[in-house]
Amino acid sequence: MSMTSQIISHAASKASALAVLAQSGAQSGAQSAAQSGAAPGPTAPTFWMPTGASTISGGVDHTLDVINWICYFFVALVVGLTVYFVVKYRHRKGERFRTDFPHHNTPLEVTWSIIPTIIVIGIFVVGFRSYLDIYTAPKNAFDIKVTAQKWAWNFQYPNGATSDDLYVPAGRPVRLILRSSDVLHSLYIPDFRVKRDIVPGRYSYAWFQCDYPSGQPGKNPRDPNAKKVEGPEDPAQVYNLHCTEYCGSGHSKMNRYVYVLDEASFSQWMIDQSQWLDKIPEEELFFKAGPKLFARCQQCHSLDGSQGIGPSWQGIVERVKAYPNVGDGKKYGTWEDYVRTSILVPGDYVVPGYGNVMPSFKGQLNDKSVDALIGYMEHLSDFDPKTGKYLKADAAK
Amino acid sequence: MTTIPLPSSGPVRDTIEARPEGDNYLTHTRGLFSWIFTLDHKRIGVMYMWSVLGAFLLGGIFALLVRTELLTPGPTITEDANTYNQWFTLHGAIMVFLVIIPSIPAALGNFILPVMLGAKDVAFPRLNLFSYYLWVAGAILCVASLAMGGFDTGWTFYTPYSTTTTAGGVIPVLTAAFVLGFSSIFTGLNFVVTVHKLRPPGMTWFRMPLFLWALYATAIIQVLATPVLGITLLLLIVERTVNIGIFNPAMGGDPVLYQHFFWFYSHPAVYIMILPAMGIISEIIAVNSHRSIFGYRFIAFSSIAIAMFSFIVWGHHMFTSGQSALLNTLFSAISFSVAIPSAVKVFNWIATLYKGSVSLTTPMWYALAFLFLFTIGGLTGLHLATLSTDVHLHDTYFVVAHFHYVMMGSALIAMIGGLHHWWPKIFGRMYDERLGTIACWIIFIGFNVTFFTQFILGSKGMPRRYYDYQPEFQIYHVISTIGSYTMAFGFVLTAVSLFGSFFTGRKAPANPWGGRSLEWQCTSPPPFDNFAKAPRVGDCYDFSVVHWDEKTGGYWVDESADPEVNPGAGGAKAAL
Repeated sequence: MSMTSQIISHAASKASALAVLAQSGAQSGAQSAAQSGAAPGPTAPTFWMPTGASTISGGVDHTLDVINWICYFFVALVVGLTVYFVVKYRHRKGERFRTDFPHHNTPLEVTWSIIPTIIVIGIFVVGFRSYLDIYTAPKNAFDIKVTAQKWAWNFQYPNGATSDDLYVPAGRPVRLILRSSDVLHSLYIPDFRVKRDIVPGRYSYAWFQCDYPSGQPGKNPRDPNAKKVEGPEDPAQVYNLHCTEYCGSGHSKMNRYVYVLDEASFSQWMIDQSQWLDKIPEEELFFKAGPKLFARCQQCHSLDGSQGIGPSWQGIVERVKAYPNVGDGKKYGTWEDYVRTSILVPGDYVVPGYGNVMPSFKGQLNDKSVDALIGYMEHLSDFDPKTGKYLKADAAK
Repeated sequence: MTTIPLPSSGPVRDTIEARPEGDNYLTHTRGLFSWIFTLDHKRIGVMYMWSVLGAFLLGGIFALLVRTELLTPGPTITEDANTYNQWFTLHGAIMVFLVIIPSIPAALGNFILPVMLGAKDVAFPRLNLFSYYLWVAGAILCVASLAMGGFDTGWTFYTPYSTTTTAGGVIPVLTAAFVLGFSSIFTGLNFVVTVHKLRPPGMTWFRMPLFLWALYATAIIQVLATPVLGITLLLLIVERTVNIGIFNPAMGGDPVLYQHFFWFYSHPAVYIMILPAMGIISEIIAVNSHRSIFGYRFIAFSSIAIAMFSFIVWGHHMFTSGQSALLNTLFSAISFSVAIPSAVKVFNWIATLYKGSVSLTTPMWYALAFLFLFTIGGLTGLHLATLSTDVHLHDTYFVVAHFHYVMMGSALIAMIGGLHHWWPKIFGRMYDERLGTIACWIIFIGFNVTFFTQFILGSKGMPRRYYDYQPEFQIYHVISTIGSYTMAFGFVLTAVSLFGSFFTGRKAPANPWGGRSLEWQCTSPPPFDNFAKAPRVGDCYDFSVVHWDEKTGGYWVDESADPEVNPGAGGAKAAL
């Protein structure tokens, strides 16, 4: 690792000598934010680019701008010359063919081989320099562990808190330690210009720094009772997070949000997040924790009986109770056993007609969480199947 | 006047008396079996052509299904994301393996290459027929895999998804790609030997038409790169069937290894698609500008340079996959080198228009469309070869737009252009040029509406292979879908104009565009053994001896004025 970075830094110093074109942009984007402290805010979306909100987005956008202008120039040149020649030398039937054309012109041909060579070397250098910013995480980065699976994200913070959306502190480099529990995934935050493939069996890193706090401090902006994830109260305040490596039927559902909180709110949020489940008394578990935990299940399971990747939860308790064994004749004891096993070892009982695709939630959901989900299933009739709202909310109070 | 004998082995046959009026390769023998068991490269080329066009129709239907589904976020025409995933997978697999890779070399190349060489056939006619039937077997397997449960892996078959998905059609389609690979290898092998051994006396390497240079460079890649794909797919099948861990980390394998193997073939495969397209464009532009191609040697060498570079840039598909930063840097640097020969070719084509005599025929419109689309496709490669911007753009619609500009906007448009260029030669009928040109324009406009929009989508952060998407992207998707319908309409018009030629088209003259290479010297359609009299090899880009003939509605070549055919004619040529 250290050798690689040595080679890179050596290459970088060499590259800087070549970097005629790279003078301005590559680093300035990264540095300006750091130098001026609290910058005014993220860059506004342009014709091409989305909002730029990380410290590296300026450098990437600058590189892209340089390339774009080179492209505009060459497209104009090609189109202009082609149209001009075609119009000017248009042949009409019966006319003699021209014979005064040049067959070749070596100096010209050498020139138009060398000019593109110089240009691409320039682009390479610009891109390489801004790439170093992307690749190398600063030493003081805040680590967050990320587990990707079909088809959900799990973000784990140093104090043990976990979340489905990504919460990060503002003004501090954040390093994501990525791993996958099944197939290839890729973490992509367009507004931060960050992307990294997640390869099962390997750890990989991605890092970014966003200086602009957003979202609602200390509070999950998403209504935990909402059936459909509609997103945050103010979409402008958060950033999208996507999976960009094809991973199956739920691939396009692996969209979550990134909330950037100021340092103090973030610390408070982490503490709250690690304790939220413990604070809920047992008897309130099913309607306070159940819907919130279900947010992770709803990519595949519905409440209203509609078709999904997995079977709907509507009437699940009755169904399980009615059949003491699944399709292949495997027996289970109580219906709670069935649910618990299905969450922790999903391959054991596969409902006929569905694939064995559910990932295991072992290590992600503790006993209390499983209890909350079992309770939620038991009381499903108390929730509106369309909106997911708890109908007896007033009575509970 | 000396006559150069036919280059093929065996005695020179001058069958002009024996050949009745209207006898050509289409009518020489009759009956279904005369086609099924034919060893004639022209008939094999024609069979390839219809098959490839059929596959193109199928792949196109899947493309339209994909575009229609994307009209709205969430479900549009299918409730099931898996169905959508199968559509785009099938679209990709069919278009790559069944259409674009074989389209120019196997369909047009098979027909034109021996005629251009003045040969009677390719070096190994039986191998040629065998390669066609391998294609058919591959196509059947590919379609059969649909009935066996389909496949939803994406055309790249990335592991471990491809080895763990429950879709039943994965092994059949892997086998199909394996078989199609061999079809491609055999075609390549055949062409390499044919170009080496069957060139007529007088046709030195630098006298070859540029289409032959391009096919030759392509054939070398086909022979060298395709076996790697074959082995990789075989390993994948082994992993899926007998659970030997090669690529799946759960069994101790490495998924990134698969990506290296896969792109070691599939990047050169991009040049299997684009190089012959460049060859066609060189021919169309030279013939329709009626002047010698500018910088012949630079174009020929750039084909070889591209073929060589194509083998050492595969890693640029994996900038975000976990390759080391050092490797990424090297691959980025080498990838840029491909830009140089590509730019050289574009400049040479434009310079060929300079002081030419440009006829705006239908094929020429396609060539001009190619120039524009290839320029955009090539230039957007810069965004993707650059490390920092590729991190943002990788696996978004920007990549989708980029490779469609190269593979469809360039390779396929050139194929359609070539089809128009040689259609009169192949079938002996002229199509309606006005309709053909209008269709070309509609395809061109539809194409840009479809795919330029996707550049914007991608750089704004829309990931590819998404069934569902954020509502703010909808406007772009709607525009893109409208473009795809426009394009489909353009292709229907093209089909009308081409098929119409069978019913209303006038009989094609031997040389409708004023070409100088050997295929324009035999009748349209060519006779069974290509040349009634031994062809004479002149300068294939010297158009000063080409004259319009009102009587036949075509051009004729005054060979006696070409000093290279007739050494005594130096003075006559100079006088022109």
